Amino acid sequence: MKDQISALMDDEISLKDAEYLYTALKANGESRECWQTYHLIGDAMRQSPVFKAGLRDRIMQQIEMEPAVLAPRNALRDAGTAAANETRKTSMAWSVAASFAAVMFVGLIVLQQQPQQTEEIMPLEIAQHFPAEYLQAHQSLAPSSAAYYIQPAAFSENSR
Amino acid sequence: MKQWLLACFLASHFSFAWAEPVSQDEPWLMLEKAAHAARDLSYKGIFTYQSGENSRSIEITHMNSGQGEYSRVVMLDGLPREVLSQGSDIVIFSPRNEKIVIEKRRGKNLFPALLPVNLDAVKLSYQARVSGQERIAGREGVVVLLEARDAYRYSYKLLTDKEYGLLLKATTLNEGKEAIEHIAFNQLNLLNINDMDWFKPKVDPMKPYVMEDEMPASVASGNGEWKLGALPSGYRQVDHIKRKVPGKAVAVNQLIFSDGLSSVSLFIEPLAKGARPRVGHTMSGPTNFYAQVSSGYQIVAVGEVPQATVLQIANSVNFKK
Repeated sequence: MKDQISALMDDEISLKDAEYLYTALKANGESRECWQTYHLIGDAMRQSPVFKAGLRDRIMQQIEMEPAVLAPRNALRDAGTAAANETRKTSMAWSVAASFAAVMFVGLIVLQQQPQQTEEIMPLEIAQHFPAEYLQAHQSLAPSSAAYYIQPAAFSENSR
Repeated sequence: MKQWLLACFLASHFSFAWAEPVSQDEPWLMLEKAAHAARDLSYKGIFTYQSGENSRSIEITHMNSGQGEYSRVVMLDGLPREVLSQGSDIVIFSPRNEKIVIEKRRGKNLFPALLPVNLDAVKLSYQARVSGQERIAGREGVVVLLEARDAYRYSYKLLTDKEYGLLLKATTLNEGKEAIEHIAFNQLNLLNINDMDWFKPKVDPMKPYVMEDEMPASVASGNGEWKLGALPSGYRQVDHIKRKVPGKAVAVNQLIFSDGLSSVSLFIEPLAKGARPRVGHTMSGPTNFYAQVSSGYQIVAVGEVPQATVLQIANSVNFKK
């Protein structure tokens, strides 16, 4: 099995001939794991940029460079000046205004959609719209004496 | 003299009392014979179905030489449709555009095998009596009236072959005893065949034959959202499946109820957002439909039964709060 998976990856056998392999991959946990491992090995051998030497060093370097803000709340409280309070008040007022506007906006949309929606969910009278699909479903499972021979024929004529 | 008359009267009374149980059983025995004959005999004939303006002639070849039932049914009018069946497996060949679509079905109690072999359930909801004789398709027959005991089902006037017992004619009568559907042989011959040469479709050999897209259906077990209240008397649930329906995202529940002769399908499905619910009543030939919406579910009841029956079955669905 493992040889065959390897051959499939290297295009040594065509996918058409390997349909059973594909099924096995889908079903069998071991085969799938094998498939993933082989791909990982393949990527490494092709020297994908991810696997270049010094991967660990590069990651560590990246972390060093990231600015780390550990306690933003404390910083804000310490800088409790009047100016800061002022900005907080205005920003609060703005956010209240924004949420009010948002509510108005949503309300407006709902109001606009209301008449359309009621029109959309007007029930259909089955006397005017014959429920053919229900009849067909009924006939297919609970055939009656004679209508069984007749009605589906009428359906196939309708669907022409 | 007076004593002699009294004795005669008593004797006749007694003989009536003796005869009665026999005459009550007799129509049921005839119906049982009809049920067996339709399944056990080999015959070929042409029958006509008629309901309202809908009328069609159908040819049936049925064979049972001790190795199970085989039948081929050919529509003689309209599209050249065929129904081949082996036992209860039915395959329908119907032309659709440039193809012949093959549909697989399970069927039971199709004319002339209209009556079930076990008539126990039927006896609870119908009463049977012999009512005269009639000649049809060159055969002598006995009329058996199968009368509904209440207004939740139709009555039937059945003509059974005097000699072979086979059902020759069936007339469906509505609550007002008006004929709403006829099905009757115009021609009937018993066969003595063993070969299977006839058992193949001849719909249109020039067209490709394709299987219909089968919609997955599974036997449903339990239902959390609803329960059924009182059903019309005599009806019991015989099946419950969940099936996918074209154009619908959620599987539809189909429950089937039967009184042994007539059956009703009850469909329960969550109403899709934006979909227009269906409501009201309509009918087509002997089939009644009733649709309503309850707790966000579309409920539709369909069956070859009076309006009161589909109405009560649709209303029997209660949603758990």
